[in-house]
Amino acid sequence: MIELQTPISEQAAAALQVGDTVEISGYILCGRDAVLPKLLQMIEEGSADQLGIDLRGQVIFHTAVSPAGVGPTSSNKLEIESSIEPLSRAGIKLHLGKGQLHRETIEALDRYNAVYAVIPPVTALLGSKTTEQRVLAFPELGMEALHLIKVERYPAIIGAAHGRSIYDK
Amino acid sequence: MTNDIAALVRDCLVEAGSTFREDKKAAYRRAIDKEEQAHAKWVLQTVLENAEAAEKNRSPLCDDTGIPHLVLELGPDCAISGRMLDDIREGVRQGLCQLPGRPMGIMGDDSHRIDQSGGLNPDSAGVESAPILLRRCEENVIRLHILMFGGGPAIRGKTYRIFHRHSTQVVLDEIVNWAQESVAQLGCSPCTLAIGVGRSHFEAAAMMLQAQVDGSYDHQSEMEAEITRRVNEARIGPLGLGGSTSVLATFMKVGPQRASGVRIVCLRPTCCFEPRIATVQLQ
Repeated sequence: MIELQTPISEQAAAALQVGDTVEISGYILCGRDAVLPKLLQMIEEGSADQLGIDLRGQVIFHTAVSPAGVGPTSSNKLEIESSIEPLSRAGIKLHLGKGQLHRETIEALDRYNAVYAVIPPVTALLGSKTTEQRVLAFPELGMEALHLIKVERYPAIIGAAHGRSIYDK
Repeated sequence: MTNDIAALVRDCLVEAGSTFREDKKAAYRRAIDKEEQAHAKWVLQTVLENAEAAEKNRSPLCDDTGIPHLVLELGPDCAISGRMLDDIREGVRQGLCQLPGRPMGIMGDDSHRIDQSGGLNPDSAGVESAPILLRRCEENVIRLHILMFGGGPAIRGKTYRIFHRHSTQVVLDEIVNWAQESVAQLGCSPCTLAIGVGRSHFEAAAMMLQAQVDGSYDHQSEMEAEITRRVNEARIGPLGLGGSTSVLATFMKVGPQRASGVRIVCLRPTCCFEPRIATVQLQ
């Protein structure tokens, strides 16, 4: 088991291999279909510094944040998967979700020394490992707003790294 | 009486959203014992551990808490009134508040609800139930089953016709093909495959719903066991990570059939937490 503390360094990201089991601790971002295109627009317009956090080394968890808790949605949904390359370029080091990604996304992750990790949809367990949460941007989206949460030892498996995928047969 | 029914329905909904039935826990334990792939075994253990935590806290198994689907059973001398349906609706509302359900009701007119431009209802109770399915039972009771349907299986499910060519095997082969494709895309396996076979899309979907009510992990028919075995041979595995446990079981209900070359089949690849189901006797 590899312990990962956010923000994740270039060195720590480079050391991760497909199939590694990890535990993630620290502050992580949460967003999915509705908010990720808006976040990309902020980055494009050069206004991401208004978020008040440095995106470099961050983790983004593909989830809503609601009173029911958190849990991964499918990362291969159009708006989510298409965010992976530009967010990696902006410094995100780990994309956390579930489901198989396309080959071009896996290659894009490799170009920016970023990885994709699969997290089981275990909302009850994740609830006990989530200690803080707040809306960072786009509050009008409710549970789909961009959230920042603090987590302790979220379990995950590295699903794509260095151009390889755990789903490759 | 009115408040009693609402309270019973409320508690039933919370149980459905937070609790694995005993036969399902046993099925997971058997799968963990048999599974040889390390990642697959870890996922199965984590899902079972999550179920234990959810049951203890009476909190959601999954953050997609699902859309309530209700099956109401009536015994020979039992009657149901409009007032009782109102009480059931009130119980669902209270249950969604207590679980709590994810606030994912979509507001607005027909067009707004389709394109999601009318905004989200911030209230957990803003999620309406699907239409109630009514059926007869032998015991002289009124019994309610509540099932919570998540979005992932709805995306990957399928209701379509199969030309049977006077062979059950042809239909089973096609179901296995559908299931292998949908389980691979689901992302939240291991699945329980819920299958209904009927004469119309409505009837096939109603059979699929009843299959989840009547199905048991401890007793599988020959056809159910064959479908499970063949889908598992594809080695999709938990979360699609490989291994021998893509499907825990198959729940299949075959209804009356039409004199025709076609069977209508409804397949729902329910996720690792489904069927999320609980049952309560209202009278």
